[in-house]
Amino acid sequence: MIKNYLKIAWRNLVKNKVHTFINVVGLSLGMAVVMLISLWIYDELSYDKYFPSYDHIVQVMQHQTINHNTITQVDIPIPLGAKLRQDYGQDFKYIVLSTYTDQHTISHEDKKLNHSGKFMQAQAPDLLTLKMIRGNRSGLSDPSSIMLSSSLAKAMFGNADPMNQLIKIDNTLNVKVTGVYEDMPQNTSFNDVAFIAPWDLFMTTFPYLKRAATQWGNNSWELFAQMNPGVDVNKVSADIKYAKLRSILAQGDKIGASFNPVLFLNPMSRWHLYSAYFNGVNIGGKIEFVWMFGVIGLFVLILACINFMNLSTARSEKRAKEVGVRKTLGSDRKQLIGQFYTESLLMSSLAFAISLILVQLALPWFNQVADKQLVILWDAPVFWIIAIICSLLTGIMAGSYPALYLSSFKPVKVLKGAFNAGPYAKLPRKVLVVLQFTVSITLIIGTVVIFRQVQFTKNRPVGYGREGLIQAQLRTDVIHKHFDAIKYDLLKSGAITNIAESNSPLTGVWQRESGLSWRNKPAGLQDDFGIIPVSFDFGKTVNWKVIDGRDFSKEFITDSSGIILNESAARFMNFSHPVGETVKKDGRNYKIIGVVKDLVMASPYERVTPTIFFIIDFPGNIVSIRINPNISTHDAIAKINAIFQQYDPDSPFDYQFTDSEYAKKFDDEERTGKLAGFFTILAIFISCLGLFGMASFMAEQRTKEIGIRKVLGASVFSLWQLMSQEFVVLVSISILIAIPTAYYFMHNWIRHYYYQAALSWWIFVITALGGLLITLVTVSYQGIKSALTNPVKSLRNE
Amino acid sequence: MIKITNLEKFYRTEEVETIALNKLSMHVDTGEFVAIMGPSGCGKSTLLNILGMLDDPDEGSYVFNDIEVAHFNERKRADLRKHNIGFVFQSFNLIDELTVFENVELPLIYTGVPTGERVKRVEEVLDKMQIMHRRNHYPQQLSGGQQQRVAIARAVVNKPKLILADEPTGNLDSSNGNDVMELLTDLNEQGTTIIMVTHSEHDARYSHRIIRLLDGQTVMENIMI
Repeated sequence: MIKNYLKIAWRNLVKNKVHTFINVVGLSLGMAVVMLISLWIYDELSYDKYFPSYDHIVQVMQHQTINHNTITQVDIPIPLGAKLRQDYGQDFKYIVLSTYTDQHTISHEDKKLNHSGKFMQAQAPDLLTLKMIRGNRSGLSDPSSIMLSSSLAKAMFGNADPMNQLIKIDNTLNVKVTGVYEDMPQNTSFNDVAFIAPWDLFMTTFPYLKRAATQWGNNSWELFAQMNPGVDVNKVSADIKYAKLRSILAQGDKIGASFNPVLFLNPMSRWHLYSAYFNGVNIGGKIEFVWMFGVIGLFVLILACINFMNLSTARSEKRAKEVGVRKTLGSDRKQLIGQFYTESLLMSSLAFAISLILVQLALPWFNQVADKQLVILWDAPVFWIIAIICSLLTGIMAGSYPALYLSSFKPVKVLKGAFNAGPYAKLPRKVLVVLQFTVSITLIIGTVVIFRQVQFTKNRPVGYGREGLIQAQLRTDVIHKHFDAIKYDLLKSGAITNIAESNSPLTGVWQRESGLSWRNKPAGLQDDFGIIPVSFDFGKTVNWKVIDGRDFSKEFITDSSGIILNESAARFMNFSHPVGETVKKDGRNYKIIGVVKDLVMASPYERVTPTIFFIIDFPGNIVSIRINPNISTHDAIAKINAIFQQYDPDSPFDYQFTDSEYAKKFDDEERTGKLAGFFTILAIFISCLGLFGMASFMAEQRTKEIGIRKVLGASVFSLWQLMSQEFVVLVSISILIAIPTAYYFMHNWIRHYYYQAALSWWIFVITALGGLLITLVTVSYQGIKSALTNPVKSLRNE
Repeated sequence: MIKITNLEKFYRTEEVETIALNKLSMHVDTGEFVAIMGPSGCGKSTLLNILGMLDDPDEGSYVFNDIEVAHFNERKRADLRKHNIGFVFQSFNLIDELTVFENVELPLIYTGVPTGERVKRVEEVLDKMQIMHRRNHYPQQLSGGQQQRVAIARAVVNKPKLILADEPTGNLDSSNGNDVMELLTDLNEQGTTIIMVTHSEHDARYSHRIIRLLDGQTVMENIMI
């Protein structure tokens, strides 16, 4: 029996090629999308679950309030570690201070590699339960040790034994390898930690750290902890709330206390997906994308299933006769149900097989866009079980209409040709088409808005010249010591037109300070300035625009205590003529010599931070270099590299193009836009497939009517109109629903950006027109084809 | 009114060429009622399609009201057709989705008659066919005889000069069939030319003249007086 079912099902699929094509392609695209999105969601939801103590690991964070604006940060002061250990030690199993993950030069003999890593207190490997390949987790107790990830160990020593090998960090710190741990996977918060070195070693690197070790107002480090079993995280979080505030008051740091620091514990389960805060309140984060893509994926699959159901009902009239004949010949209802289900399951299995191929083909591209390393879990039984159950469910869902409804027809009725599904039979079909296009059009509008926002922000004037500018991080003071000589050599080589040092790259503000004072500063005004020490040529190197006063110049000896404000700082200080005014910082007076147009250095979506540029009097950690436009970039880089190597042979010259660094700021939004665009195109494609199928079946159904109309004198145009208008009406209804829906969602989305592209009316109008155009193109083929058919043919078929 | 000379029509498939009309010549005068008879496959329907300008001949001449139409393109034929010819089919060919009134109104829409005029004319013709009381019914709610009345109403609403009827009583019982034939006779008496294809000798007796076809040729003409 099953064999018979399969044979007939297969013949039916082959016979109705258009129908089969639309269903199989639509379903397999839908399944492929769902599979991709499921893999992505699985990856997101399993973030950090690699760590066995996932449920007990927390990060200590704080809220601080500046001018009624609460910011939430991971940055904490050093003494907090000891304080928690001392006052709340019974709640924590491990408390570990850590530096930010940062790039360092790791060298062994002649081999130099730049890798990111952390300096952490000795219990870090226990806290994370690192999987040790060599050595054990106590490897960091020796202050001159280092633990490497297996991939870094491999890169460094190849097949040689890495244990006890001597390594230099940033050419200054001598350490010995005391352990090798398995690479932490991509979907963990520590995926880029290629090495861990002892915190105590870090504390010896800069003299200022001695002071910082007791300063409660210097928030430049991270603190991780693991709770003791059975401890309530929320309770401890409430207990430690004011630990910092009390200490900072005790230390007499009034400014620090005025920010009202409030500590809390952030469980590991919330790090990745719930990282967004607004005014001290958690507002979600990446979890929104999980929901968004989850919903999109589900919708795309539903769209494909809708096609299946719609085409089945559209075909019901044709199949009704078949049902009649079969019943007359003795088939009972159960067998018919079996027959129809076999067909739909065969189709969904076919679609599942194709979707696996599609996913495999799309994964490299998808991974690149999504910045993931997803793979099909070929060897995981769970994957297969879920996938097969899903495709069975899809087949059953899609096939239930024909199986249950068509099989119930009375044979006498349908064979007499009296079968008429009635006006209500078409209603669900219409509702489904409206639903399809509502989803598609909402997705189109959303994608357009996202792309426009990114484009709009990209076009934002940045206040400096990005092109032909490179920046490199300096990890030692060697370059600083020879700065003038290096500059001379670089200029002589013709590779560059200018070079400058600074303490932040153009694409970030690394230092912020408050407690500055100036004439007529209102009492109680809390200030928070970006502080950027730069060398004299900085402005000429980056091509900023001086709009008041003048640039720094070596010709004025007094410029070493001169400062330049950006427009936002000048506005914040509320000077009508800022040039010549004095600003006091750390007890020293600085004279404003100029104002520059705002430089967009931090997030391009946000307001520009009020920023003050000082003359640098210590080794900067960034050089910015303007490449000579008359020479190829490739040659210029080669020359620059040679000169840097000549002066600092121990550090690899590691540079970035400023414009590509700037472009990275758009990665998240562009990724979202690209993924949304991808799903949108698929959704539209699937919807159009369905529409095309509907149009062709409608044309088939109405062949006779069209023939009669033609005999009575209908023109091709009027027939095309007749065939298209129903769909145009349906899509128009979708547009009317989709526009307010999309407006609501996108208005909410774009509100989070300070610098935002307007939701112009034309986006909606153009999308609506586009939707109608796609509809017309899709259904016109069938409409015109049937309008051109000779009526003699269709009428003779009677 | 109609004069066809040496009309030929072939149907080709990959293997065989079938001759449907073989150098057929005939004429029909204005006001005549002509029946075309012959066995299945003799070319009756093909002839009717060509006369109705639904199809074009491969060879020969077809003069309709002194105009040579054999080589008219689709648009010109459609134009001539909708103003001059009404059709009545064996299977009625009413549109299921439209009411009686709307079905009858359709030819008027396609010839661009204004709304007010349309309503008047449709009501007039429905009245004449005695199906006014069914104006808001759908075809499947009517009996076969009633459906054919609607079809005839639709055929005549445009006041065509020629009505082509393809076995108009084929799907009807004899009483309904006679009614339909009476209707056609009335129309003919009021001046409409009628050409009817039929298998029924009984129906053929309503006509003035019978043309008998065999293998695409005229084999006999009977004048009925």
